Amino acid sequence: MDIFIGILEQGMIYAILALGIYITYKILNFPDLTVDGSFPLGAAVTAYLMTNSGDFVSVITLSHNPYIICVYALIAGSIAGLVTGIIHVKFNIRDLISGIITMTGLYSINLRIAGSANVPIFNYDTIFSNSLMGSIFPESLLKYKVIIIATIITLGTKIILDLYLKTKSGFLLRAVGNNQVLVTTLAKDSGNVKILGLVIGNAIVSLSGSILMQQQGFFEITMGTGTMVLGLASVIIGTNVFKKAKFMKATTSVIFGSIIYKAAMSAAMDISFTKASDMKLVTAILFLVILVFSEGKKKKVKADA
Amino acid sequence: MKKIIGLVLILAIGLFTGCGTDTQATDAEVEQFTIGITQFGEHGSLDNCREGFIAGLAEEGFVEGENLTIIYENAQFDNGISNQIAQNFVSKKLDLIGAIATPVAQSSFNAAKAKDIPVVFTAVTDPVAAMLTEGNVTGTSDKLPVEAQLKLIRAMLPEAKNIGILYTTSEVNSLSTIEEYKTLAGNYGFEIVDMGVSATADVPLAVDRILPQIDAMTNLTDNTVVGSLPVILEKANAKAIPIFGSEIEQVKLGCIASEGIEYVELGKQTGRMAAQILRGEKEADDIPYEIIEQSSLYINTSVMEEFGLTLAEEYLDRAMDVAK
Repeated sequence: MDIFIGILEQGMIYAILALGIYITYKILNFPDLTVDGSFPLGAAVTAYLMTNSGDFVSVITLSHNPYIICVYALIAGSIAGLVTGIIHVKFNIRDLISGIITMTGLYSINLRIAGSANVPIFNYDTIFSNSLMGSIFPESLLKYKVIIIATIITLGTKIILDLYLKTKSGFLLRAVGNNQVLVTTLAKDSGNVKILGLVIGNAIVSLSGSILMQQQGFFEITMGTGTMVLGLASVIIGTNVFKKAKFMKATTSVIFGSIIYKAAMSAAMDISFTKASDMKLVTAILFLVILVFSEGKKKKVKADA
Repeated sequence: MKKIIGLVLILAIGLFTGCGTDTQATDAEVEQFTIGITQFGEHGSLDNCREGFIAGLAEEGFVEGENLTIIYENAQFDNGISNQIAQNFVSKKLDLIGAIATPVAQSSFNAAKAKDIPVVFTAVTDPVAAMLTEGNVTGTSDKLPVEAQLKLIRAMLPEAKNIGILYTTSEVNSLSTIEEYKTLAGNYGFEIVDMGVSATADVPLAVDRILPQIDAMTNLTDNTVVGSLPVILEKANAKAIPIFGSEIEQVKLGCIASEGIEYVELGKQTGRMAAQILRGEKEADDIPYEIIEQSSLYINTSVMEEFGLTLAEEYLDRAMDVAK
């Protein structure tokens, strides 16, 4: 039972990341490597705003309110996305390279913001543990506190995203990924739409970095490594496994994808005949099995699986 | 339908293998204990810590396979995995978690807080900065004996002025050790020249830049830099600049000497602390973290010969030669 709670906690927090990557990768068709930098960026901003006791920080965060701090993480991520967007659209640099440029720069920026490669926040108020949460949650539900809060944030993000995708701006975003010419014929600047998509995607990624950091209790500069791969795996697993479930929105599939990813990792950890160092191989095999299963028998490989 | 079956299968594996461990610790006369060991990554020093930790527990009567079950997980240097391991351990309601290196110690402590499972860490350089000093947590620090190392370098190289240190900007332990070097260097007439790298790929470039500015170099326990030691040694030897290590493995590879700590010993000390907690003699909260007071001196006589260096009288009886 506790193992499931652990999987759901981690899966839900990383689902926010997956939603951000879903925007850039699936909707915008943009392989955005910025996320390896914007994910720890959210965590770094959170670390700084939580631990810095200066007057200015106290004022802008309403005396270190963790929920307000999340908003700043969101803003920081959107700036990272904006930078990648401008590099790509205005300077005509290829998508992968623009992401790499921002990600590389963010490594140093994150270290500067956080002040150190590792910042623990065990004794600070977080969105999961503060006096308000202490009073809301009865003793019996305390065990499920993290998962409840993470689920609320994830579902909230998903619903806002779903609503946004139905607006005119959201339609344009989807159009840019599928058919740029169409956007141009509508007399819209497809470049600006792309930048907007990157801003939204990275803002969400940064938010998830902030939330994960508050849950794990410390910032670590290396926490960004592999973010893109992890998020992408969740997106692909989710959209593939639930491909035929038409009643389900893609954003919902992505959330389930993240939970499946974490479940597979947890299973890999526990398969007892392997050495600890085999875990990644077992994880890889589990992914393959999941994807093959979800493909069914009929079709051969699709190029963009 | 098939995919749903597949999904259930995956989840089921996680569930069943997870429950399996709980049942083992029942039908024996002696009290059975189950502990988890989480290690940040595959690494010589960290492996030695783990080996020592298990040996230390055995010395105190907690023998793996007899009255002790050990679940070992390795986070592959991945922050997300280290979190998941911690949660996995906590959900199994283990008697104790042994954590090797700072990030896994922090994730374990954070996850174990709610369930009040004691965490015993090792290979954490600065437990105070890592906030691992209060709560149900204790362990050992692998803080380098910086002063002893400076004394050794001065004894071997009376003329040297600038000491170079390479470090990785992402390793918080390296930064705190460099600060200590800088504070103490003046007492021995040294100046520290430090240069940061962000990845293994940067090391060769950084070595080329730092070598012209220094008379000798000393290593920290920085994973990235130590991992690239062969390339550093090759370039430094070509310029006849001696390199001092920080533990035995580096001296074996070709560093001149090191006043360092012995990770197996450190692990044993940690294992003994864990035993006290398992026996219920003490709470982790009541045991302050420990460091190794006496540094171990290792020398490589064949490298010393190459550089024409000798060891001062006062060191001779303590030095252990690791040259092949």
